[in-house]
Amino acid sequence: MAEVRLNNLTKSYGGVEVIPPLDLTIPDKSFSVLVGPSGCGKSTLLRMVAGLEEVTSGQITIGGEDVTDADPAKRGIAMVFQSYALYPHMSVADNIGFALKLAKTPKDEIRTRVKEAAAILQLEDYLDRKPKALSGGQRQRVAIGRAIVRQPKVFLFDEPLSNLDAALRAQMRVELAELHEKLGATMIYVTHDQVEAMTMADQIVVLKKGEVQQVGAPLDLYNTPENTFVAEFIGMPKMNLLNGATAARFGGDKVGVRPEHLEISSDNPIVSGEVVHAEYLGADTIAHVQSAEAGRVVVRLDGSHPLQRGSEITLSPRPGCLRIFDANGQSLGAA
Amino acid sequence: MRTFDWRDTARIAILLVVAATILFPLAATFLGGFKTSGELRLAPFSLPEVWRFEFYGDVLGNPNFWSYMWNSLFIALLTVFITLMTGAMAAYVFSHIKFFGSDYIMSYLLLGMMFPLAAAVVPLFIKIRDLGLLDTPWGVILPQAAFGLGFSVLLFKTFFDQLPRELFEAARIDGISYIGFFFRFTLPLSTPILGTVAVFVFVTSWNNYLLPLIVLNDSASFPWTLGMMQYRGEFIVEWNKILAFVTLTLVPALIFFLAAQRYIVAGLTGGAVKG
Amino acid sequence: MAVAETNNIISPAQGRPSALKRALSDGRLVTVLVFLPPALLLFTLFVTLPLIEAAGYAGYKWSGYGDPTEWVGMRNFEILQKHSAFHQSLMNTVWVIVASCLLQIPLAMSMALLIYRKTWSNTVFRLIFFAPYILAEVATGLIWSFIFDGDYGVAAMASQALGGEPFFPLSDRTWAFPVVLFVVVWKFFGFHMMIFIAALQGIPEDLTEAARIDGAKPGQITWFVKLPLLKPAIAVSVFFAVIGSLQLFDLIVPLTNGGPSNSTHTIVSYLYTFGLTRLKVGFGSAVGIVLFLITVAFAVVYRNTAMKET
Repeated sequence: MAEVRLNNLTKSYGGVEVIPPLDLTIPDKSFSVLVGPSGCGKSTLLRMVAGLEEVTSGQITIGGEDVTDADPAKRGIAMVFQSYALYPHMSVADNIGFALKLAKTPKDEIRTRVKEAAAILQLEDYLDRKPKALSGGQRQRVAIGRAIVRQPKVFLFDEPLSNLDAALRAQMRVELAELHEKLGATMIYVTHDQVEAMTMADQIVVLKKGEVQQVGAPLDLYNTPENTFVAEFIGMPKMNLLNGATAARFGGDKVGVRPEHLEISSDNPIVSGEVVHAEYLGADTIAHVQSAEAGRVVVRLDGSHPLQRGSEITLSPRPGCLRIFDANGQSLGAA
Repeated sequence: MRTFDWRDTARIAILLVVAATILFPLAATFLGGFKTSGELRLAPFSLPEVWRFEFYGDVLGNPNFWSYMWNSLFIALLTVFITLMTGAMAAYVFSHIKFFGSDYIMSYLLLGMMFPLAAAVVPLFIKIRDLGLLDTPWGVILPQAAFGLGFSVLLFKTFFDQLPRELFEAARIDGISYIGFFFRFTLPLSTPILGTVAVFVFVTSWNNYLLPLIVLNDSASFPWTLGMMQYRGEFIVEWNKILAFVTLTLVPALIFFLAAQRYIVAGLTGGAVKG
Repeated sequence: MAVAETNNIISPAQGRPSALKRALSDGRLVTVLVFLPPALLLFTLFVTLPLIEAAGYAGYKWSGYGDPTEWVGMRNFEILQKHSAFHQSLMNTVWVIVASCLLQIPLAMSMALLIYRKTWSNTVFRLIFFAPYILAEVATGLIWSFIFDGDYGVAAMASQALGGEPFFPLSDRTWAFPVVLFVVVWKFFGFHMMIFIAALQGIPEDLTEAARIDGAKPGQITWFVKLPLLKPAIAVSVFFAVIGSLQLFDLIVPLTNGGPSNSTHTIVSYLYTFGLTRLKVGFGSAVGIVLFLITVAFAVVYRNTAMKET
């Protein structure tokens, strides 16, 4: 049982509060992704769980045990860093086995466990190399291997894929998700990339300025965002937020509709305007529509859709796909 | 066909003149050791008529010469070791452990770079005497290390700060202690800067004259700089012997320089231009 | 909903250990207590204390044995002020500074401009020009005292050719110090050249290329692009030249040992000759204090003016 709980946790730097009192539970065996724009406090939060940042006040428990002031090595966690932080003067095998060596594990056992980890990550052929001689993806695997071998209760990932190119990143996303299933450990993953969050998480935690905006499964966040920040942050291209008269029609201050939930039809018209730009992506066509009453609206249409720049179109939302928000940006429900 | 490049010709000509000015006295010194006194007087700068190896042989056969060299080496190696260890340990604290006043303590050590050893040489002599270190190598080693600290702490701190922070954090999570990180990570990963500082401290110590001059009285404990001046005193008019002696003392320095020039240049550019 | 309700078992305030306790438990305190004292002790014992004691001793007449008891106030400084050999040593030090800045640094700069590009032949020249810097000063002095020996070297040849009496420039009041200055330049210009070479190599190539496309000739590129960018390096170079000049000693001993008739002393060789060899601890300390004050005053003023601007 390795549930991670943050109770009334705060963090201040020299009197400036970067994390206001925060409560959060990361369920046992979950893959939880902390996501938000840069400066939202997600990395600070992760580093506090790791013990690399001091807690200003509040409490952290891992598996029911209070670790608020415990040494990073004694929390039952392992961490994978953005830069991988591989030890440049040690071989891959020594990198992976270093924590075990410090814990005075018998040599034979270190060797077996390093081999196991290497097998999981397909690193067997590289065990004698120095990190310098590895590719980006291999380094990433070594960093993960270093975490696996300790058999931690909780894995912490700090933007581990942001130094990889797009293709490798997509591949590693799949591998990480599979690894999570195989190991069945709790994982906390920090990223600014909502795609990573959506594809890997059981639970997403959206953060803004140190405050939790919403916690939930990826599709819950996508379908029922609790406020405009989450609505805009999750989903690509981002949700259209219409205000003024259009919103007033639905009894809110703003009304949100995702680009993929709009279609060209006049059944239930919400916006009409001129197509100012269209991106043809093959499978989809992303059209930017300029409307007099609602401003710029983005709509995702079928790729086969013939669309002329300058043509006038009228758009209707799919039923039940409108999100209504009040003046503070809080959700008032669907329409 | 290329036209005659007067610019490049002038450039090479100037460089050759300056190089000749540098090499001329060194060559004269080297050659002088092969000549008799009489020949040296008549033809100080030409090639020797007969290459006589006896003056070089005399020096090499002189046990004092070897004792001077050994003393210099001993003093230099220990100075390097102590400067590196104390300097790196202090710089590690300044780089990794912030505490109230740590900045002041570092500034205090850095001030040492400004203080000339010569200004305090008289009280330093009294201090060394009162500590009972006169006529011991420690009387030279410890003050040399102390005066080298500012420079080495500055270079070490700059270098340690540039080591990736995440390396330290990853190792902390793996369970290493602060002291363990210093020995297992900081030192092995800092060989370039350790080498640079070591070379500088070594050369400074190897060439030092003033401090041994005031500390050491017994010629058995003399480094070669003092030994050379003593030798000169003994053979005041026999320049050929003195020149042979000087040449032989310069050989290790020149070999060392050629071997370590990469570090020396790195130290100059890193230490000097940033300083 | 996964946001936990606040269930503080331990209230934040009472559960937090003090900063000191935490530093102790994670090993920081021990590290500081083990790693810092050796450096501090060494530095305090052999650098700071002697300097402080110099200030104390300067008020005494003391031979170094027993306790200093004969308080003479400012007498040592008054003697210094009246001693013509000290005036001479100050003047000589000024001359070393002047020669360093006006001969040595321009020479170093010229050589750096000629050989800063990375080619095989330039590396050889660089090593040759830098070689004197790593020679010991005493060895350098000894070699040049041979070259300028009136019975043997250049001076002997010159006087023979002119048919005159043997001429000993290092024993000549007019010529001795110019020879010292020459040797200083010979020995140290390579050091400054290395600083300039590093700085020149740090100038981005596209900057000089842009100037060339703008129509600048090589001389103009040097004057309008390179030299202005070298200002910080020149400032550093001058700083080292002055600090080094103030401490010049080793070279003097084999060349002239301060003679003839104390005309070639520098501040430090004066200090050594009149303070240390005669064990006038108080007097030597007074000279040391003067040297210290000059050095610190220069360093402070220079860092706040010349080094700040660049």
